[in-house]
Amino acid sequence: MESTTATQTAEPAVALAALTGFSRTAVERLSAAKAEPDWVLAARLAAWDTYESLPMPTTTVEEWRRTALRGLKLDNQVPFAPETDRIASLDDLRVTSRETALAIGGERAGMTVQRDASTVYTEAAPAFAARGVIFTDLDTAIREHADLIRKHFMTTAVPAGLGKFQALHGAMWQGGTFLYVPAGVSVGVPFQSFVLSETPGTATFNHSLVVLEEGAEAFFVDAYHSETAGKQSYASETIELILAKDAKLRYVQVQDWGRHTVNMATQRATLAADSELKSLQVTIGSKWSKNSIGSHLQGRNATAEMLGIFFADGDQFFDHHTYQLHESGYATSDLEFKGALKDTARSVYSGLIRVSEGAQKTDAFQANRNLVLSRGARADTIPNLEIAANDVRCTHGATVSQVEEEHIFYLQARGIPRSEAQKLIVEGFFRPVIDRIPVEEIQDFLKAAIGRKVGI
Amino acid sequence: MANDTPMFVIENLHASIDDKEILRGVNLTINKGEVHALMGPNGSGKSTLAYVLAGHPSYEVTEGSILFNGEDILEKEPDERARDGIFLAFQYPTVIPGVSMANFLRMAVTNVRSARSAAANDGGAQKLAPREFRRLMREKMALLKMDDAFATRYLNEGFSGGEKKRAEILQMALLEPTMAILDETDSGLDIDALRVVSDGVNALAGPEMGILLITHYQRLLNHIKPHHVHIMMSGRIVQSGGPELAMELEAKGYEQLRAEVAAD
Repeated sequence: MESTTATQTAEPAVALAALTGFSRTAVERLSAAKAEPDWVLAARLAAWDTYESLPMPTTTVEEWRRTALRGLKLDNQVPFAPETDRIASLDDLRVTSRETALAIGGERAGMTVQRDASTVYTEAAPAFAARGVIFTDLDTAIREHADLIRKHFMTTAVPAGLGKFQALHGAMWQGGTFLYVPAGVSVGVPFQSFVLSETPGTATFNHSLVVLEEGAEAFFVDAYHSETAGKQSYASETIELILAKDAKLRYVQVQDWGRHTVNMATQRATLAADSELKSLQVTIGSKWSKNSIGSHLQGRNATAEMLGIFFADGDQFFDHHTYQLHESGYATSDLEFKGALKDTARSVYSGLIRVSEGAQKTDAFQANRNLVLSRGARADTIPNLEIAANDVRCTHGATVSQVEEEHIFYLQARGIPRSEAQKLIVEGFFRPVIDRIPVEEIQDFLKAAIGRKVGI
Repeated sequence: MANDTPMFVIENLHASIDDKEILRGVNLTINKGEVHALMGPNGSGKSTLAYVLAGHPSYEVTEGSILFNGEDILEKEPDERARDGIFLAFQYPTVIPGVSMANFLRMAVTNVRSARSAAANDGGAQKLAPREFRRLMREKMALLKMDDAFATRYLNEGFSGGEKKRAEILQMALLEPTMAILDETDSGLDIDALRVVSDGVNALAGPEMGILLITHYQRLLNHIKPHHVHIMMSGRIVQSGGPELAMELEAKGYEQLRAEVAAD
């Protein structure tokens, strides 16, 4: 067995080095190492029981039909990395400049940095804390705001029983960030959560819980990064976005894991009446990624804008499942996912618009556009509608296309070499979505990432 | 290159698309400073000729040559030809979503000017700093009576017919070609737009530039005066002459001319 903890001196770390794969013992040790209250351990163990009771998804299940789990080696994963020391400043991070530019560039209201299983850095602007805003890691939130965590953590948005991997997450979650904005408080600049996975072969779990009370406004950014390594790492993210009446949230997630990573992400928002979510999912990293992204529109006049960008190259496989769940009438959802693929990459997009009985005057839009840049790449897109109301407007569209030779020729006829022309066209393909993000640093990061992916 | 080398020489050019021969032996020589009009009915091969000169990949040249400043360009990619100084104003400019005019123009100008500097070995003297580029772009846009907001729009997206043609001439103005091929730049233009576009072309024309104007109608030639007029039919130039040939054609129509050519 490989030991990843040779340089660790703390006693629990030595004992933990013996663990591989997930187990009830791993759950107990993790909770003990974090000295968690009993109710947290109980919730973890209940999730573990759920995990054990659910079968491993197979391709006979619709959501997994095109997404074979072959190659995921959960039994080989070290279930969690030992606690690491906090850092005094972001300068102590070993990150390349591009990630730094995204995560720490620009103005921010607060930031957490999670390195493997531990939050190593937390920063929050005092001005917002004075107005009742809570921005901290989940361990601290459990100690200091137990009532809020008990109420919202994996209870409504993403219950541990949602599926096999959500249950595993409920049992094994680590680190994590909590944002709470009280009623009527508005914070325009982003709160950022930056997650680094630095121990290949070890699982990384991350959790973001965002709770906006009535009329609150906030902007939250999640960014995940690791350098590509040899040993497979499992990454699990759960994002819970809870919007009370009239709340407004902008959420951006950038997934840039190394190519050794198998990624399983779940995001759910719950929207009360008159609330508004604007979310953007960016998937560029990992070897294999499954993202389940949904909005529960629970109140009248709720609005969810759900945008996505993905770009797969090499042998990457990305699967995005989206859910526009209209549970109340007079709500609007507007979804657009755009993907590019090259080399032998593959993607699956599957989007469901579900309109519950009585959810009249629903207005739902769904579009998935794919640009295939290489002969060996492939995109599958599957729209689904389930409508149990009769006075609704639901529109969906899906396309898989290639770069048009006429476009390349036009640009070449202006002196632009073929490779640059292709890059310009791909950037143009994503541009309408990128332009909808109001942060220049994020726009620049995405443009650069797309440029690198297209290559020359 | 000797000074007496003609700038642009098309010799016995044959070209096909999907094994169908469209050009059947085109011969045409254009010298510096000359404006040539190429007229002809629909389907005579005018636009095919324009595409073949620019290097469109769908057409296969089966015979003949295209010499630009004495050098055969047939093996060159479209972008190399453009950097050498050949410009095609498209009859139907392509819409490219998400690519802003300004970004596209800057990229085109950078490529063309870098190549020119490299050819002149002037150490990059022709390259433009971003500010210089913006000034040049605004200047040329003013020449074509284009609004500043144009620069931020996506390439040809939502452009009216007239705006598209103006945008083509703007590109010509910025790239400063020595051989410009204008494929039905007058089509779809009302009389005011036609004047703006023609004035733009006239302002750019000069002793160093050759121009090939492809058009159906004589009316463009009232605005841009050609030195030579050629009539194309069935993939060949069947008649060449001075400006009076265009007038004659306007009076007789293509049908009569076709009959005359057939009789010869």
